Amino acid sequence: MDPQNPYAPVDLGTEEPLPSLEPEGPREHLPPGRWIRKRLFNNRYNSLLTIVLVTVLGFATYRVGRFLFVTARWDPVVTNLENFMIGRFPRAERWRVIAQVILWAATIGLGWGAAVAGARFRATQSGVEYLEDRSLAKLRRYWALVALVVVLLVTAGTLGPAVVAICSVAAGAGLQKLGARVPGRWIGAVWALVGALGVLGFQIVSGFDGLAWLWTAVFVAAGVNSMLSQRGFPDTRRERQTRLAAAAAVFIAAYCIYALLLPALIETEGVGWDNWEGFRVNLLAAAVATVLAFPLGLLLALARRSGFPALRIMATAYIELIRGVPLITLLLMAQYFIGFFLNTSTPLSLVSRALAAMTLFTAAYIAEIVRGGLQAVPNGQVEAGNAIGLSPWKTTRLIVLPQALRAVIPAMVGQFISLFKDTSLLYIIGVAEILKIRELVHAQPAFRGYGIAETLIFVMFAFWAVSFTMSRESQRLERRLGVGER
Amino acid sequence: MTNTNRENDDQAFADATAMRRSGEAMIELEGVDKFFGDFQALKNINMRVAKQEVIVVIGPSGSGKSTMIRCINRLEEHDRGRVVVDGIELSDDIRNIQEVRRETGMVFQQFNLFPHLTVLDNVTLGPRQVRNLPKKEADDLAMELLTRVQIPEQARKYPGQLSGGQQQRVAIARSLAMNPKVMLFDEPTSALDPEMIKEVLDVMKELAKSGMTMLVVTHEMGFAREVADRVVFMADGEIVEVGTPEHFFTNPTEDRTKLFLSQIL
Amino acid sequence: MGGRHVVPAAPADRRPNEASVIRNSTQPPPGEERGNAVAWHRNIRTLRIVVQVVAAVAVLGLLAWMGSNLITNLQRQNIGTDFGFLDDPTRFQIPFDDGFDPQSPVWQMVLVGLRNTFLAGLIGILIASAAGLIVGIARLSSNWLVAKVAQVYVETFRNIPPLVIIIFFGFAIFTYGPFPILSEATTFSWPGSSHSLLILSNRTWGVPSIVTAAGAGWLGIALVAGAAAAYLVGRWRTRRGDRTGRPPHRVVWFLATFLVIGAAAFFITGKPASMSWPVVSENLRRIDGGFVLNYGFISVALALGLYTASHIAEIIRGSIQAVPKGQSEAANAIALSALQRYRFVVLPQALRIAVPPTINQYLNLVKNTSLGIAVAYAEVTALTLSSIGNGRPAPQSIAILMVAYLSFSLTISLILNMYNRRIQLVER
Repeated sequence: MDPQNPYAPVDLGTEEPLPSLEPEGPREHLPPGRWIRKRLFNNRYNSLLTIVLVTVLGFATYRVGRFLFVTARWDPVVTNLENFMIGRFPRAERWRVIAQVILWAATIGLGWGAAVAGARFRATQSGVEYLEDRSLAKLRRYWALVALVVVLLVTAGTLGPAVVAICSVAAGAGLQKLGARVPGRWIGAVWALVGALGVLGFQIVSGFDGLAWLWTAVFVAAGVNSMLSQRGFPDTRRERQTRLAAAAAVFIAAYCIYALLLPALIETEGVGWDNWEGFRVNLLAAAVATVLAFPLGLLLALARRSGFPALRIMATAYIELIRGVPLITLLLMAQYFIGFFLNTSTPLSLVSRALAAMTLFTAAYIAEIVRGGLQAVPNGQVEAGNAIGLSPWKTTRLIVLPQALRAVIPAMVGQFISLFKDTSLLYIIGVAEILKIRELVHAQPAFRGYGIAETLIFVMFAFWAVSFTMSRESQRLERRLGVGER
Repeated sequence: MTNTNRENDDQAFADATAMRRSGEAMIELEGVDKFFGDFQALKNINMRVAKQEVIVVIGPSGSGKSTMIRCINRLEEHDRGRVVVDGIELSDDIRNIQEVRRETGMVFQQFNLFPHLTVLDNVTLGPRQVRNLPKKEADDLAMELLTRVQIPEQARKYPGQLSGGQQQRVAIARSLAMNPKVMLFDEPTSALDPEMIKEVLDVMKELAKSGMTMLVVTHEMGFAREVADRVVFMADGEIVEVGTPEHFFTNPTEDRTKLFLSQIL
Repeated sequence: MGGRHVVPAAPADRRPNEASVIRNSTQPPPGEERGNAVAWHRNIRTLRIVVQVVAAVAVLGLLAWMGSNLITNLQRQNIGTDFGFLDDPTRFQIPFDDGFDPQSPVWQMVLVGLRNTFLAGLIGILIASAAGLIVGIARLSSNWLVAKVAQVYVETFRNIPPLVIIIFFGFAIFTYGPFPILSEATTFSWPGSSHSLLILSNRTWGVPSIVTAAGAGWLGIALVAGAAAAYLVGRWRTRRGDRTGRPPHRVVWFLATFLVIGAAAFFITGKPASMSWPVVSENLRRIDGGFVLNYGFISVALALGLYTASHIAEIIRGSIQAVPKGQSEAANAIALSALQRYRFVVLPQALRIAVPPTINQYLNLVKNTSLGIAVAYAEVTALTLSSIGNGRPAPQSIAILMVAYLSFSLTISLILNMYNRRIQLVER
């Protein structure tokens, strides 16, 4: 029996574990000579192909390499690096963006750690061993992102970005390690902290006025609520009331701090929340649109699957309508007349209008993804929930949704990647994301018609690095979720 | 019920009538019809189950046994007739339906345990959410029940880590946690490997001995012979014959019953 | 053990009070309506209706409010709220389309745009299918280098936004790229002839085309008849092959029949079709004759073809891997060669699995042609934007645009659904 995996099939004849059925065949470790003969020249046809490909690739690599490193003119990229990343963001307030990057790296790290802690908690209490990755393996996995960061640092030439990069990575990784050690009872509180940190990162750019207090207060109160209850299920009525009262008290305290104390102590104005430019737009727009679209998509999926024909028809009509048109038409609608649908006194900014269109678009796709997940939950689960007397809403909330959402995590990540690529469309409606910045760069007299291909290659590389890393992670997640969880 | 040779049927009917007069019937089905589109799945079902009685329902597949049992806790909606459980009639009234579901426990052929919750959470979900039990009492109750079905050590595991027989026993414990008056079993051992059927049947036998009213749809004839108070044979959506196990297995009256028994025994 | 255990229940929720529960003493006989006596707020049936009515009213109310706001705001800005603008003249010239008269009505411009959309979509689909099939099969090759190259192709193109690829083709390869300007265009001719087969410049390409004269209608009919005859010949050969067991050489006979009939018809009708060769014009600013491809069209078709091919390659790879291994083993057991195994066993099953997601990708490709704006390709979205820039009302124009894409999408979805249902019935 294989001690690593006690559930692996065992050949009863010899007591050796059977070879696993990997999709690409078991990995062989042959000496180089035999490997070349087997994998490259094993028949006449393959030998011919190999020779042709080696010649063509060699030639292509030479030409491309020569272009990239010798004849290419990278000055448009080098001199405009900060423009590419954050656009015309006021340079004096640059510290805000840096703080945001570090805070969000911390948020992602902590959230990741909490997820790991949750999985480990569930694994240990049910007696299954939990396998973790080593840090060095992680570095090798994220080689594309590392390459992007290295390229940025090399082109920037100064030390500042390097320091920022190191700080963010340190914050993220450190908090991830910390979060993974959190004992089971405190995981809910850690998630609330993740939310609060994320909001803080947002506000540090947009400022602490307005509705800022609301978000932080919600998260902190939720954290207190979770800390006081074990595993999130309500207890007796009295206990529930005490807990909610404590959460409400925290909520009010947070409001006092934000609305009354903070303005007295520090400058609370930021640079506004929709002052988005550069590559920052692409990342932020995708993230914000996905987060906002998720509850809407969830409701649409539930409506489409509900037994009420009226709801089903309306949800289906919305989903099919939005999925049938290209995103660009919705963005054009946002640019030209989406503001006309509301009676706003002040006109909405282009970014917020575009964000609204992207949210509506993504919600339809998320609805389809969640619907697939809901369909994957066997009908017997609903029947069992009904049989023990749970109301339909409780059955959905406690039994169907946890299973459905867990099943669609890889598809959700895929949707996020797709949306991230679609943020390039914001260029067409005039939002100053990275493609538009590139156009502005080439409008400068120094760079008119100069270095066109080079700037494009840089933009392509930026998109590619982020997208490739996320898709790799999604594949890995898919494999892990399919095996280890239960 | 058919017209020929109604001796035993009359006896059973008389018993049931006596029970109804004394108000002790736990489940009453009167003239129940059920249609799926044009297809009639249940034809004029009349049955009374007394308190603490164990009824085993047998019959070929497609005979409507599962449909009938699912009508009792409103997993299917009957089109005509009356379904009354412990004095509560199943109608369009939500509160009646919820009440009936609280009073009946159901064990499914496919177990239908909640895979994202531990075994303990599976058992405590109902008491905590529906009967508003505090966590500690619910946990104690759950451990007591898990001990009763002989798997207390699996409490922290997830259903996916358990064998089929263990999962089904957890399902039984889950239903018992709601303190039902009636337990409904829909082919509880049909999805189990042969070596695990015995452990589940043992639990069901113990349950019957402890005085639970049970309505069991099964193919396990040994169980029917040992434990049932009455055996009901259904075919083509109607009840063909009702009788005690002795009468049923040694000397059935209807031809259809005889044919069915000859095919399986 | 034995005896019931008693659960301490919270008070007041064990059993609802007597009056609210219907006892079984006096009931209407079965068959009459049930549920009459149940209060509406607890009756399942009425509650379902109430919930739906409330939801419908809320949503429709919201839509009505939004609609009225839209109309008010439009009127306030003096923008028309009807569709009359469709008959007004277009007022601008479509790039690279000399045949278009700026005075023709807007609806004609829309049709030109739709035609261009479908043209780019069609060529893109052809490129994507061919490239996707090749790369998908290459991914599973036993040759490590071939498989790796295919993998690099997929991972590269899949992770770059299609708009960026289109812009790359449009500006880094065409406008500012290695191709010369038109006055110094590269031409390729057949050796010994003065006609150019191919003219390449940085904004337009010229390829030969076929020009028809009188009598072409008869030629067309003859070609159709020839195709039908070739099909019948093919069937005859198939039956002969089944009967005698010898290879039927269907394809050769099919092509031969078609070509013979086509050539004969061509000469009999007096050679009504001739070649038009591309030639750079006198003033060196355009290409006359032949078929002129503008850089926008080529960029969109090629870029989207290569981008979608990466997705299709993954679909095909997945569908081939989804065919159970036992199928290949069984094919090997009856001594089929690798080519026969693929042709008769693996690919038929794989392609059936692959059809729905591939059709989805085709749909995405056609929707992505809307990115042609970035390279000034005159497809329907770009033309709509230009017309809005010329003062046409935006909501109506964009609404027409959305309806166009929507009807195409819904049609394809419907066909897909019918296909899916047919497949499932066959498997039953």
